[in-house]
Amino acid sequence: MKRKRESFLFISPAVILVALFVYGFITWTFNVSLTNWKDIGIYGRFIGFRNYERLIFQDATFHTALINTLKLSVMFIGITVPLGLFLAVLLDLDIKGKRLFRLLFLLPLSFSFVASASMWTWMFSPEGGAINTILKSVGLGWLTQPWITSESQSIMCIAIAYIWQFSGFATLVYYAGITAVPPEIREAARIDGANTFQLYWKVIVPLQKPATLTVLAMLLMYTLRAFDLVWLMTGGGPGTSSEVLSTFMFRTTFNRNHFGYGAAIGIFMFLLSLAIIFPFFKKLRGGRYD
Amino acid sequence: MIRLPSSLPVKEGKVSSMTLIYVVLIVAAVFYVLPIYTAVNTSLKDSKELMWGPVSVVHKPTLLNYVKAFGIIKRPMWNSVVITIFATIFSSFLGAVSGFGFSKLRFKGSDTIFLMIVLGFYIAPQSILIPLVRFIGKMGLYNTYGGLILTHTAYGMPITTLLFKNFFETLPTEIIESAQIDGCSNIMAFFRIALPLSLPGFAVVAIFQFTNIWNEYLFGLILTRGVNSQPLTVAIANLKGTTVASWNLQMAGVLLSVLPVLVMYVLFLKLIVKGLLMGSVKG
Repeated sequence: MKRKRESFLFISPAVILVALFVYGFITWTFNVSLTNWKDIGIYGRFIGFRNYERLIFQDATFHTALINTLKLSVMFIGITVPLGLFLAVLLDLDIKGKRLFRLLFLLPLSFSFVASASMWTWMFSPEGGAINTILKSVGLGWLTQPWITSESQSIMCIAIAYIWQFSGFATLVYYAGITAVPPEIREAARIDGANTFQLYWKVIVPLQKPATLTVLAMLLMYTLRAFDLVWLMTGGGPGTSSEVLSTFMFRTTFNRNHFGYGAAIGIFMFLLSLAIIFPFFKKLRGGRYD
Repeated sequence: MIRLPSSLPVKEGKVSSMTLIYVVLIVAAVFYVLPIYTAVNTSLKDSKELMWGPVSVVHKPTLLNYVKAFGIIKRPMWNSVVITIFATIFSSFLGAVSGFGFSKLRFKGSDTIFLMIVLGFYIAPQSILIPLVRFIGKMGLYNTYGGLILTHTAYGMPITTLLFKNFFETLPTEIIESAQIDGCSNIMAFFRIALPLSLPGFAVVAIFQFTNIWNEYLFGLILTRGVNSQPLTVAIANLKGTTVASWNLQMAGVLLSVLPVLVMYVLFLKLIVKGLLMGSVKG
């Protein structure tokens, strides 16, 4: 009994803070989502699940935001995962300057999203931006694009900024996974006559399934909550061409002051994040990492 | 099994494939460095030289943009220093306390509570924004350092608890038990034995938290207004220029804002790598 009381003493700060700021607030958000609360000061009235009905069945912008979130995830993750794996394999080879390359690949991770949003807005600026300038100066002027100012390219530009910022993370996780492959396995493959390419393609890469799951979960989580880069690079535009769930939630709640409706979007996103993390629930149980 | 001698052709192939590998690595490095180069190069140009574009190497580098940018962001930078340091200390220390509890003072159901806490790291923050603004406002903490320090401490708990629990798991339970036999209370055992032994872990967690909090934008955006308490990220976002000429100022501000974390990355890469790997779910 005494032991239990003492352990409560230790865990109580974390328990209290998380109980209030996470679970209490989610419950609070859910309650708000059942009202038509608009504008500060005037409390809304209970309207049941009407916000959710409107969201799912009627709101075209929500559908756009959902599809754009999916598009962004597919572009970002579809390139980041193979790129990370590929670079990790290269770093595992016997090359010179390994540490320098590793540092360079990881450097973008140190930048805030705000910083990289500014830098990539500048890179993609149609007038005077670096990418169009380079294209012109190497005689590829006909390849210049409107980039973030174009409805059809805005998401792609954001995805590239994400890839720049996060592929180092994927590389890192894969690199850790690859270097953790026991030397005996490599040796055995060598004795069986595998060349370097076969060693990686047939033996080491297939062993990276757990690393892939880790990378997928983390990247999915980050794209779902992606706000800073989208908000600052395109503001969801032009039009709603790059509106994602998080910017839609923010705009609805804090620019239009539709708190009830914004809360419903927030709860929808909460459920999505549960769906993403659920497959890992069991693995998390021991709280172990290996 | 007889293996054919294959030394010569393979060796030749190896040379060319090694070249290819370096080419690919350098192309990748260019991708990662190009925006940084562009930002640095732009920040060193005056508006006249910027007419030549961001890519051509600067002729007469000027630090004037940095001076101007610093003038605009120095208060927000100070705000970020205070907020980040306090929130890092609080969240790391409380994470150590609870991590110790979950690792060394287990009881029936403690693993489930731990799991519920860790889960908090993975939920989208959009699901808590509205109550957060209301709560911080009601506490009288809107637009204060305290509001952001409390917020960052609270939302730091899941990850710091997870990281510290993992560290304390590597600590043999016997050390704590023998201290208890010697008449040490758990609290004394934590401060005298566990905490000093977890110092390397503390460094990993503190750096992880420092970079996260320093770079955070959304909470700063909704919990502050005006220059007196707004964090640096919000001020940098507000620097946004509309004309080409102000890009040099903006890039100077951006680079000033990332400098502390950038220096940490170069100095403590190993610790940062550790934190990043431990902070991610394992498949």
